Amino acid sequence: MSFEQIIVSGNSDSLEESELSLLETLDHVLNRGLVIAGEITIAVADIDLIFIGLNVMLSSVETAQEVLRNRQAKTE
Amino acid sequence: MPVIAHPMTGEQKNQLGYYVYGIAESVAARQLDVSSFPAAIEDNAKLAWVTANDLAALASEVPLELYGEEGLAEHLTDATWTAVRAMRHETVVEYVAKRASVVPLRFGTIYLERSSIERMLNEKGRELAQIIERLRGREEWGVNVYWDRATLMASITEVSPRLRELARQAEAASPGQAYLMQKKIETLRVDEARTALNEIIDGLEQTLSDHADEGKRLRILKVEATEHGELKGKFAFLVKRSQFEEFRAAAERLAEENAAAGVRLELTGPWPAYNFSAETGLQS
Repeated sequence: MSFEQIIVSGNSDSLEESELSLLETLDHVLNRGLVIAGEITIAVADIDLIFIGLNVMLSSVETAQEVLRNRQAKTE
Repeated sequence: MPVIAHPMTGEQKNQLGYYVYGIAESVAARQLDVSSFPAAIEDNAKLAWVTANDLAALASEVPLELYGEEGLAEHLTDATWTAVRAMRHETVVEYVAKRASVVPLRFGTIYLERSSIERMLNEKGRELAQIIERLRGREEWGVNVYWDRATLMASITEVSPRLRELARQAEAASPGQAYLMQKKIETLRVDEARTALNEIIDGLEQTLSDHADEGKRLRILKVEATEHGELKGKFAFLVKRSQFEEFRAAAERLAEENAAAGVRLELTGPWPAYNFSAETGLQS
């Protein structure tokens, strides 16, 4: 079957799934969502650039692994 | 007195600001004990609800050295720094979204004063309450649509009614006519593949929207080939929790129907409703 479901909020076993979740998460958190005018907010145009930059940089497995380890350490 | 070029930078040393994650009803916030929440965006900071009337914003203190305008601009270029913070932001917002109707904020909304958050809650209270109501009992699901050029091109004669008809006529035609028709089919294949792909994607959007409260086509920031093919469509759907099984079944049917054409679906979620939280007047 050509259908894949990735439950991002669940724990992913394989790095491959986690890596994809990581990029999806960055896409959601950095690129979308409501901005309520805070006293400091990141400009929308910058966010696009940041996401594209991260997308490229995080394709390296080492960085992704490090980030995931950090994430786990923080959620435990 | 010496002239200070960037007075804010000096003052921001050791000063704290407030990083805001999302907004919920204060009645819901009271039920959620922040001491059991996941870690805040920075170490050694506690999450806290900042309440004004019926609304509560989830916030934690952040050093302005890192989160002031200059510091933030500098650190955002560091992929690991930003990814870790974005993940912590998401982990916190997900935790709340599972337990209450919440308006998720995007990464990077910072207030210098606690009272400014209260003022924001008061000034935008009506719109925020409306969004909270609209999101209640619902989750965001993402659907990514990938296509594989080779598979679609190989199957296009079957997929396209126009080409199927031409192929049928060619079979029945005289050898000379059949040759010309085959030529025509070849030149039409690329156009037909493009048309067929757009129709498939429009159809997916329509069918999935029918099983959701709302649907949105999102921008694709960066097209790149993956092992699934090339990303051609990116959608967000707001789905009632009670209707998710139907939504999922519809997505599975679509995936099966379109597999032969080289189209692949990926469902991600559940997400906080990042793409369904905007209301006119709130977007800065």
